[in-house]
Amino acid sequence: MNRPNWLIHPVFILVSSILALVLSLFLYIYWYIEISSGLRSIIDRFNLDTGQFLTSQTWVVILVLTVLVGVIIMGIFIIFVYNLKTLRLYRLQHNFINNFTHELKTPVTSLKLYLETFLKHELSREEQLKYTQYMLADTGRLSNDINRILNLAQIESKNYAEAFTLQNLPEAIEQFYYNNAHLFRDCDIRIQRPENRSYFYRIIPSMFEMLLMNLFTNALKYNDAAVPAIEISFHERRKKMIVRFKDNGIGIDKSELKKIFKKFYQVGHSDDMSAKGSGLGLYLVDHIAKIHKGKIVAQSDGLGKGAIFNLILPWRYRSS
Amino acid sequence: MKSNLKPRILVIEDDLHIAEGLKLNLSLQGYEVRIAQNGPAGIQMWREWRPDLIVLDIMLPGIDGLSILRNIRLEDEKIPILILSAKATTEFKVKGLSYGVDDYLTKPFSLEEFLLRVDRLVKRASWSNSDSELAKEMSDSELDRFTFGSNQVDFKTMTADCKSGQVRLTEQEAKLLKLFLLNPGQPLSREKLLQIGWGYTKGTTTRTVDNFIVRFRKYFEDNPKKPSYFVSIRSIGYVFYADPEKHTE
Repeated sequence: MNRPNWLIHPVFILVSSILALVLSLFLYIYWYIEISSGLRSIIDRFNLDTGQFLTSQTWVVILVLTVLVGVIIMGIFIIFVYNLKTLRLYRLQHNFINNFTHELKTPVTSLKLYLETFLKHELSREEQLKYTQYMLADTGRLSNDINRILNLAQIESKNYAEAFTLQNLPEAIEQFYYNNAHLFRDCDIRIQRPENRSYFYRIIPSMFEMLLMNLFTNALKYNDAAVPAIEISFHERRKKMIVRFKDNGIGIDKSELKKIFKKFYQVGHSDDMSAKGSGLGLYLVDHIAKIHKGKIVAQSDGLGKGAIFNLILPWRYRSS
Repeated sequence: MKSNLKPRILVIEDDLHIAEGLKLNLSLQGYEVRIAQNGPAGIQMWREWRPDLIVLDIMLPGIDGLSILRNIRLEDEKIPILILSAKATTEFKVKGLSYGVDDYLTKPFSLEEFLLRVDRLVKRASWSNSDSELAKEMSDSELDRFTFGSNQVDFKTMTADCKSGQVRLTEQEAKLLKLFLLNPGQPLSREKLLQIGWGYTKGTTTRTVDNFIVRFRKYFEDNPKKPSYFVSIRSIGYVFYADPEKHTE
C-alpha cells in the first residue's frame, strides 16, 4: 500500500551498489594497466632493469582485485537477502499483532458485556450461573492465549524446565483425549491403537500435550463438515514411526503445505478478513516435534479434501 | 406496518458468547433477536426474516462482514446496519462507511453506548418507514438508472435498453450488474463476485460468474468477442469500465 520511494527501494540500492562496484573494479584494472604501461614506456626510455618493477604481477593484481570485489558483492547480496527476510518477518509479525489482538479482544469483549449486563439487570440465579460459566470459559481462553505466547518464548529459547519421561505414545494420546473430551464433544475422534504393539518414547508431557492440542483444535477449527472427525493411526515405515492425524476439514492448498509451519504464517489474508488465529500453532507443533527428535509433515489433496498431519519419529525399540 | 410488533434485530456474530450476550440485552430492551453465526446463514436469515436492524461482525467464517454488507446494500439501501468489530483502524471504518454502514462500534464496546445507538437506529428507520411512499419515490433514484455507452439500465423496472433492443433482467442479473456499475474500474475476483452477488462461499462453482458475464457481453457489448465494458483480467476476475476509451491499451 505505502510503496517506498524507488530511490530507497532495496532492490534499486542493491543493483546500483553492485554496478558501482563492478565499475570501480573495471576502473582499478584500467588505471592499473594504464599506469603500468606508462611505467613500462619510462623503463624502455631510460633502459632500466625491468626486474626491479614487478611488472610481471599484473595478472595477480587483477585476480586479487576481482576476488576482493567479488567478496564485497557477495557480502552485499547476503545482507540484502537477510534484509528481505527481516522485512518478511516484520510483515508477518504485524499480521500476527493484528490477528492476535483480535483473538484477545473477543474474550475481553464477552467478559465486559456480561459484567455490564450483571450491573444493569437483576438476572435469575439460573441465568447468572449460565453466564458466569461463559465468563469463566472466556478467562480460560485469555489465559490460554497468554500461555501460548509464554510457551513460545520458552520453546524458542530451548529452556524447558520439565524432564523427558518414558511413555507409550498411543496411551499418552488416549489419555490426552480422555482428559480433554469436553472440548471435543460433537466430534468423531478415533484412535486406532495398534494391536500388541507399544511405542515407548521419551516425551515432555506438557509439550506433547500442547502439540496434540494444536493438531486437534486445528483439525476441528478449520472444518465445516457436519461432524468433524479426526482419525489417529500408527504406522511403521523404514526405520521410522509415523503417527498420522487425518481430518475431514477444509484441507490445505498444495502451495501452503510447507508455509503453514512458519512463524506467524496464516492461510488467507489479514486484509480480507480470511485469516484467523495467531499463526503460532503449527510453528509450535513443528518446534515441539523437533524437540522430540522428530518432524511434522502436512499432506492434503487440496481444498475441501481434508488434511493429514504426519508426526514422524525415529524408530524405537518396541515391546509388547 | 410492523409498528405494533417488536422490532427485529439480526445479530451476525461468530462468537457464541458475545452473540448470546447481545441477544440477552437486546431482548431485555424489548427487541426480538435472532443470531446467525456465519456469513451465509446471516444473509439467508436477513432474506427470510426481514429484520429491522442488523448487528454485523467483520471477521466471520464463510463470508466476511464487509461482503455481507455489500450484498445486502445491493438490494436494500435502507435497512440500518451497525458494525461491531474488533477492527479498530480508520481504514476499516472508512471501508465500512463507504460500503454503506450506518454505525461502527469497536470491540470491546460499552453496553450502554451500544444499546443507545441501536435504539436510535431503529427509531430513525421507523420514521423513514412511516413516510415511506414519498421516501420511496425520492430515494434510490440515482441508483435506479445507469447509462454507459449506448446502453441504459433501469433497476426499477428491471429492464435494459441496449443494442439488441429492450432486455428484461432477471433478479440475479440485476444484482450482479448493479455490483459492476457501482464499482467501475475496480477489479472484482470471481470469489468476491460470488460472495457479494450470491452470498455463497461454495457449492456454486465460479463458472456461474462466467456464464453471467457471457450474458452481459451479449446484451451490452458492441462486439461480445472483444469486450470493452466487461473485461476479464487473467487469473483475477473481471472489471467494468464505464468509458472504455480511457482504458484501451
